[in-house]
Amino acid sequence: MPDLKVKVGLIGKFDMLKFKNMKKVREKAIQAAPAREVDGVFPINENAKALHPDFLELVIDRIVDRGGAQAKTFVLKRPDGKPLPYFRAGQYISLKIPMDGSLVSRSYSLCDSPKAALAGEYAITVRANPGGFVADRLLAEKKVGDRLIASCPQGFFYYEDLRDAKKVVGLAGGSGITPFLSMARAIADGIEDFELTLLFGSRSEDNILFRGELDEIARACPKFKVVHVLSEEEKVGFESGFITAELIKKYAPEGDFSVFLCGPEAMYKFLKPEIEKLGLPERRFRRKLIDVTKTPWDCEGYPQEARGKSFQILVKQGPQEWTIPASADEPVLVAVERAGIKAPSRCRAGECGWCRSRLLSGTVFIPQENEMRRWADVHYGYIHPCCSFPTSDLVLEIPGEFF
Amino acid sequence: MPKYDIVVVGAGNAGMSAALQCQLAGRKTLLIEKHNLPGGAATSFVRGRFEIEPSLHELCDFGPESNPGDSRRILEGYGVHLKWLECKDCFRVISKYSDGSPMDVTMPAGIDNFIEKMEEYVPGSREKMTKLFDLFQEVLDGIAYITASKGNPDSKVLQTEYPDMLRCGAYSTQKVFDALKLPKKCQDILATYWSYLGVDMEHLAFIHYAAMVHKYVQRSAYIPMHTSHEYSTAMIERFRELGGEVWFNCRAEKFLFNGDKLCGVRTNLGDIECDYALANINPDIIYGRMMPKELIPEREKKLVAARGRILGGRMYTAYFCCDASPEELGITDYSYFLPSTADSVVEYQRIAGGMKTNDYSIFLCYNIVNPEFSPPGTCVCSFTTFGAPEEWGELRQEDYFRFKTEGAKKMLRSLKEKTGIDLVGHIEEMEVASPWTFARYLGVPEGSVYGYEARDWDGMMARMQSIGDDYPIKGLRPIGAAGPRSDGYSATIVCGQLIAANALRDLKNWEGGAK
Repeated sequence: MPDLKVKVGLIGKFDMLKFKNMKKVREKAIQAAPAREVDGVFPINENAKALHPDFLELVIDRIVDRGGAQAKTFVLKRPDGKPLPYFRAGQYISLKIPMDGSLVSRSYSLCDSPKAALAGEYAITVRANPGGFVADRLLAEKKVGDRLIASCPQGFFYYEDLRDAKKVVGLAGGSGITPFLSMARAIADGIEDFELTLLFGSRSEDNILFRGELDEIARACPKFKVVHVLSEEEKVGFESGFITAELIKKYAPEGDFSVFLCGPEAMYKFLKPEIEKLGLPERRFRRKLIDVTKTPWDCEGYPQEARGKSFQILVKQGPQEWTIPASADEPVLVAVERAGIKAPSRCRAGECGWCRSRLLSGTVFIPQENEMRRWADVHYGYIHPCCSFPTSDLVLEIPGEFF
Repeated sequence: MPKYDIVVVGAGNAGMSAALQCQLAGRKTLLIEKHNLPGGAATSFVRGRFEIEPSLHELCDFGPESNPGDSRRILEGYGVHLKWLECKDCFRVISKYSDGSPMDVTMPAGIDNFIEKMEEYVPGSREKMTKLFDLFQEVLDGIAYITASKGNPDSKVLQTEYPDMLRCGAYSTQKVFDALKLPKKCQDILATYWSYLGVDMEHLAFIHYAAMVHKYVQRSAYIPMHTSHEYSTAMIERFRELGGEVWFNCRAEKFLFNGDKLCGVRTNLGDIECDYALANINPDIIYGRMMPKELIPEREKKLVAARGRILGGRMYTAYFCCDASPEELGITDYSYFLPSTADSVVEYQRIAGGMKTNDYSIFLCYNIVNPEFSPPGTCVCSFTTFGAPEEWGELRQEDYFRFKTEGAKKMLRSLKEKTGIDLVGHIEEMEVASPWTFARYLGVPEGSVYGYEARDWDGMMARMQSIGDDYPIKGLRPIGAAGPRSDGYSATIVCGQLIAANALRDLKNWEGGAK
């Protein structure tokens, strides 16, 4: 024993008693307190829950037809009209859409300024999509008063001044315009502070989605510019053809800039080499994929022998089990949803990880651009069913849902 | 209705540990987790080409294979194996000594190294430091003895074997430092660890502090190769291998009782029948929202009221993935503690004052310990500080995003001023997690991952001695950072094991009684 006990001045015999008394001291402090009912309510937790609820029940308040652009804007509210969770311009919500007895999820970028949420409104825009099962049904069937279940706003496709250049070139194709419209509106409202030059690819002049809105914001707000790029028309006042490195250079601002891209997978594949030609550092390029490939067999590394085959999936969720059919040509999530199973999913592009599930047996194919799993998930056999195509029979354990 | 012996609610550190302990004991165990990921704080997230560690700075009391500490022993005992990397230094601290002079100190792991380095910074401190570490060792041995005695230590043994622990046990760290006449500069350097427990040196029980510092210094701390999500996933994998079941996105709504004894758990996936539930949930939430009010004893209501809203650190963190290597950015150390002063009482007050006065942060660069943490030519860094409850409680949604980024900017500026390291211009991905984030994700009151503040009357040793009295609900015990061992990865892993052992004993006793 060191001679320390002698040196520790204040500490003597009395302190031994103190040690033994710690429990008594604690008990005394407890007994001195009032026996109030415990409420378990904390302001910070209430705030967090209001911003990120498990899900939202929304009702379609109005529908705006976008005419030649073959799209409709759905304005959604809570049944009681109260404010909705705030969001960052560029974020999306995931809707659960009832389809023939099952619930199918789709993600839609919020296209209004974030301040609309405070007034209790979210606006999403759905565009006709040849062969697009859900979009066409939504456009044809949904009417004012219909109810939908939605996630709270999600996603990382937004401007962040610490990270991004003060000047941004936006590249939009098809319905990929919606997050940029929200950004433009947020800039006009003073909620965001950056300069946005948008190159927007459409087929023809009368097919441009939100043309009036975009041009109007550009007239009123010097920080926002829009360039329409028509793929099937040559017209004065428009660029024609596809968005290329040359075109980006033509409109890119002087000095440092970021490129933001939002569009279908086909557009991303086309633009990737074009963007590489610009020689930007990786931090200056951000993208949002809005779907998964419809032709997995065209992807690098696809096991061709699986193409077109049918498989069975044994799906487990908590205490329940189902055996369901699946096609090699569709992501696992599609088969699960079609079987009427309530399965979690949000981005449907491999990014958010909401559908993360344990693959207990079998093999899947995951396209390179959707591979965003954690290291240990790859190592221990977890997959994101939204972007995994079955290449054998599977046994899959999926997480539960909350609504 | 599915039936299990034990349902563990929440797959945080304590929950995973408890589930493994129960399953190893041969009990049919179900682990339910409200997220689709295990680990609670022990998780990760992906942004672009980076996977980010959200919480683990260093797992203490781990040590090398040849000299394992408690954390390694427990995990290996469970049969959980993965590759861990050693953090060779304890910390670098850049601040001001309490006399106002500048402080820039790097302390190595290993008791001898630590004492030698201290002698360099504070000449003449060797003898006192050696005594201090002897005292730390005695405290650690004493705690081990008390734990082994299951809360009923023999006073005679305590008095003969652990007299110095008894003498210091009821005092604050500051009091003991002063009594030891430890040079003020030593005290300042040693104070660096206060924030790991979130209690300043005047109110932090010496015994708690001693156990923690000794654990960090004696054996170096470790981190997993691929973020703490790798560790959590390995824990789950092992639990499944042993026959345990895990349900993700399964949230406990209520605990169900038959009379005064727990009989099940109500979840979004249906009711589950069980004999026992171990809840990795803060007791305020269990009592407030998850069980019948009439089953909560008066004394438990008083316990909650006595603690009031005195919660431990409300976490506020910022993560930056940079497109430059640590060398290019001038980052040489794994962890930089950057308090504005070594005086923990002043610092605690500044943090409580909110963003305007708070200039505290811990800055980490994972690539220093693990050069392969992110793609070549990049690195991942994080800042950790604490949020003030009023500030985050009164914040409006429309101001939230900007407010949390402002705090991150302040930490970046402060890093540049204190170290010359400037990340701005290299940030490829970033994320900020505020007390709101931790409150939502972990469900902990006010985003406090530290549970109740372990200060004064409610310190670790006092809680340990009260294990038999706290939470007397039949068939339900809370586990986690709000528990007797307080916060931290190693503390909650131990807590899960300890409380699971109590639950297993209860079950055995009940079955014995039934025979």
